[in-house]
Amino acid sequence: MAPSQASHVPTLDSLIKAFNNQLLEASIESLIFLLKRRQVKGDECAKATAHILRQVVAKSKWHDVDQLLSRVQSAGSRVARAAPQEPVIGNVVRRVLGLIRDEASEDRNADDYGSEAASDIQSLAPSAPLPQRPPPVPVRPSPSVIAGGGLQVSKSMFNLLSVADTDSPMTGASTPLSQAQPASVHALRSEVMDGIEEILDEINQADDQIAGFSEIQIHPGDYVLAYQPSRTVERFLVKAASKRRFTVIIAGLESPTHGATEAPYAALRKKLNGAGVKTINLASNGLMAYIPRVNKVIFSAKAVYQNGGLLVDSGCCIAAQAAHEYLKPVIVLSPVYKFCPEDPSDEVSRGELGNPSGYVSYANGPAVDALDIENTVTDYIPPELIDVYLTNLGPQTRHHLASILADHYKTEDIGFNLHLGES
Amino acid sequence: MSKQGGKGGAAGKAKKPAKPGADEKREDVLQAVILADSFQDRFRPFTLETPRCLLPLVNVPVIEYTLEFLASNGVQEVFIYCGAHSEDIEHYIHESSRWSPGSAISPFTSLEFIRVSDAHSIGDFLRDLDKRSIISGDFVLVHGDLVSNIQLDAALAKHRARREANRDACMTVVLRSVGEEPHRAAKARGITPVFVVDPTTGRCLQYDETHPLQSEHYVHLDPAVFSHGSFEVRTDLVDCGIDICTPDVLALWSESFDYELPRKNFLHGVLKDWELNGKMLYAEILDDGYAARASNLQMYDCISQDVLERWTLPFAPDSNLLHGQTYRRVKDGSYVEDSVVAERGAKVLQSAVGRGTTIKAGSAISGSIVGRRCRIGKNVRIENSYIWDDTVIGDGTTVVHSVLGGSVVVGANCRVPEGSLISYNVHIDSDVQLPSKPPARISALTDDKHPVKPDVALVGKGGKGAMYEVVHDEDESDDEDGDNRDPAILQSSLIYSLEGFNLSTSSISTLASDDGYDSDDDVSMAGSLQAGEFGQARERLSSFTSDDASKPDNGFHTDAVNGLVDALRADDSDDFDSAKLEFMGLRLANNASDSAMRRAIAVAFVRRAAELLTPAQGALEPSKAAGETFTAKKGAVKFVREVGVGGDEVAQQAEFALAMQKALLGVRDLEAARAGALLAALLQQLYSLDVLEEDGILAWWADKRAAEGESMNALKEKCRVLVEWLENADEEGSSEEEDDEDEDEDSD
Repeated sequence: MAPSQASHVPTLDSLIKAFNNQLLEASIESLIFLLKRRQVKGDECAKATAHILRQVVAKSKWHDVDQLLSRVQSAGSRVARAAPQEPVIGNVVRRVLGLIRDEASEDRNADDYGSEAASDIQSLAPSAPLPQRPPPVPVRPSPSVIAGGGLQVSKSMFNLLSVADTDSPMTGASTPLSQAQPASVHALRSEVMDGIEEILDEINQADDQIAGFSEIQIHPGDYVLAYQPSRTVERFLVKAASKRRFTVIIAGLESPTHGATEAPYAALRKKLNGAGVKTINLASNGLMAYIPRVNKVIFSAKAVYQNGGLLVDSGCCIAAQAAHEYLKPVIVLSPVYKFCPEDPSDEVSRGELGNPSGYVSYANGPAVDALDIENTVTDYIPPELIDVYLTNLGPQTRHHLASILADHYKTEDIGFNLHLGES
Repeated sequence: MSKQGGKGGAAGKAKKPAKPGADEKREDVLQAVILADSFQDRFRPFTLETPRCLLPLVNVPVIEYTLEFLASNGVQEVFIYCGAHSEDIEHYIHESSRWSPGSAISPFTSLEFIRVSDAHSIGDFLRDLDKRSIISGDFVLVHGDLVSNIQLDAALAKHRARREANRDACMTVVLRSVGEEPHRAAKARGITPVFVVDPTTGRCLQYDETHPLQSEHYVHLDPAVFSHGSFEVRTDLVDCGIDICTPDVLALWSESFDYELPRKNFLHGVLKDWELNGKMLYAEILDDGYAARASNLQMYDCISQDVLERWTLPFAPDSNLLHGQTYRRVKDGSYVEDSVVAERGAKVLQSAVGRGTTIKAGSAISGSIVGRRCRIGKNVRIENSYIWDDTVIGDGTTVVHSVLGGSVVVGANCRVPEGSLISYNVHIDSDVQLPSKPPARISALTDDKHPVKPDVALVGKGGKGAMYEVVHDEDESDDEDGDNRDPAILQSSLIYSLEGFNLSTSSISTLASDDGYDSDDDVSMAGSLQAGEFGQARERLSSFTSDDASKPDNGFHTDAVNGLVDALRADDSDDFDSAKLEFMGLRLANNASDSAMRRAIAVAFVRRAAELLTPAQGALEPSKAAGETFTAKKGAVKFVREVGVGGDEVAQQAEFALAMQKALLGVRDLEAARAGALLAALLQQLYSLDVLEEDGILAWWADKRAAEGESMNALKEKCRVLVEWLENADEEGSSEEEDDEDEDEDSD
């Protein structure tokens, strides 16, 4: 037996391991093709993007902030284009770009506060691309300060203040920053890399942080409907189970795959039962019958758009609609890094198409020939159906999403997706 | 032979370990071999200019799918065997930023081309590979036209486990089941692979191929199959040509120098001879995932549709596999690249359209793939067609289920009916209606790659190109071999059709119960059937080989008869032994039954004897001719006695006599009277040579079959004298027999 050679199939972990022996370009390409081949998907994307951008910052050649920004932008847009179905990638790129701008301006401010601050103010992009952005409220204590994202939040607050006064028509590329001292490149590099580490930490801890709010959201005796529980939802429920006695109804079971020996979500159910929480597996068509009995519906989002709409795994929309009709609260678990400063595109609302074999076996010849099978694997949920967005910074409502976006993304970078068309 | 290593650092990284001690470490490196030439011409005339693996499949060269498949399975070292157009393939790979061996972004640590100058088959490639000893462990063997999203991990792990358990488990064939119901992937293939598999272990027991042009729709099961507890006979599998091999497989190829095809020759042969080689081969049958080979135009068609319908995910157009592609999914199930201009009123349904293509108003494209920079005029209708880059289609033209190669120009108001194949750079003038039966196959080049003289009648006055005639090796004029036509003919067109072929009507029936085995029929199969326990298999074996003398295997019969007659005719040698050896070899190779042999021998000798009667050969008397036939060559008599008659039993002797009688009927240019005389002479000669005994001849005389029909009866009557004489001789005692030869002549 050769147990050591478990797998040849490349994964994100094997990619990250290989970073050190690889040229930067090779790493980026490997990731791009992992994304194209769907070997990295879903929640892994954010982590992968942060890792690859860290490599870009560490390995690519740059002499000033501008070059660094363009390196990150070009690498980021290549990665984002490889997987247009994963908007999270763009978010992380924007976060990193904002981080670099912050670090750069911090450096300059330290060097020569007065003169640089003036140019900084002029250079920053106009508020035009984001009309629905709320007027910057100066003294709103950002939740992220509490959650430990403090470093960049303070910077972004500064910028928000500055932006308010400017009406410069200049966009994104921020020319004045190019005056940053080459001598500080080294320092900047390490600071940016530290910053990316923090973003990675945030990504890694987000699930736990969200789970921290579970006992507030779930009350004893609740009937909680979890639609296709993701890892985030699982953590949330397990954490709640340690404090509360309630009942979980697991809905949206996928059709059993070939050779599956275990009942769906067996591991989750075992954990919950161990903690004394009852679980019920519910076939999809039984959903409506149970909705009146349910106290709240919980699922996780793949992305949250700035209008409050959600990109979710297919099927969630039915659960959300049903809950809405019965006036049951719908709670969406979504870490802040999944919040996109953009509106859903036409393609998002049509949903991504998956492999038709989910519905019809390829072996079923007549059906393969006769049918056009569209297996949508994502849904778009309009914002009206959602009651609470539970982020790692705490529960939010739709009306506060804009300020979260403003706290985390720079206006210069919000148009990041516009660069996607270029090559 | 030339071997091209990778240039630059990537190849350097993958230094081959010189010592076996390094093997341990290299176990982790997965190697793959791509066979980029299949030595077939099913894509003619397109492959005159472009190798098959560079033909665009949904606007991506086919080999990209194969390489991506290997990369997604973590393959690190790739060897590509190229045959025809090897420069083109090498050029393509070297130019590709992703795969070029020197490229930093290649997912493979090494990618090498191996050219074999004198290769004429895949077998030659693999024997060459064995000589090079660059394969260190398990490797994946694929063809350059594979489209698959299968993850091989499970199959690889199983393969390793089996290999660890038993060194002789040397190969795993990865197959995809497509069900028993008609399926486009199954329909497209023409040749149906038949796998006999042990369902518990996955061991492959026998492999055969059937195709609709066979005279018999039967597969002969190897007796050894029955020594396994249970087995499944499966015809519902798509063989995608993915093999997981150990280096032992290459050694097997080397041992059998005449194997050419990895399935028909190698797999079949190795399984058949497993008692000799002791190797065990396994089949991994998958129920999910996608795998198919674009091995002919029908499969090309089928896979293209599957890609559009996303069965092949992640290989869908909007994955933008190829560098620089920018497909997006738009409404109506279509995929469109950047800068595609579809005017208002142009409809694009379930199609993929490449960059820079313009589609004018009123045109409708459905179920088709359109390449880059095409210009499609007004009111054009394109259905289920494949239009490659830079093609121009004039206003009002209709294209249905056809392939239009690159840079084709089709004028206005043309009709391109179903199944048309129009190769690169062909121009078709306006208002031309291409023929629909048979569909046109137009090329601008001849087989030797010279420009053709335009066929004005076909492509119009301003046109370029002429009908491309597909050359088949088969010899249609030979009626006897008509049943064994090459099934490749089924695969050379875009549309699978059996029209125009005389199909044998022997029925395919499904085995209902064990009782079926007791009937005189061969085992027939449709779909997959589970055979039960075979405790008494041995006793039933005889029923598995066809004993129907009226329809012996044609290939064996003609070969054997010709061989024997030639040997009898030969003037230079008196020895019959080599002919005998050859005959026995043929018999083993074809697994011919006793009756088939008997018939072949009877026909051969009768034909020779009849020949001697003709003036050209000296117009001998029948008795002289008979004597000459049997005694001219040393060993011939012994051969007839031992092989032809095959024993001392009366029944066998009667059978041989009957076979001779039938054979005489088949001899042309022989009057009935002379034929009868010859038969009598032959029988008498054999009697005197102790080949046939009196009882045998009398048994023949009494046999009803010998008197069936007028002509048979006429022949038989001529022998009455001989028989009566024999009966008398019996009464008189057998001691005088040998002296009475002369008397027999009087009976003519």
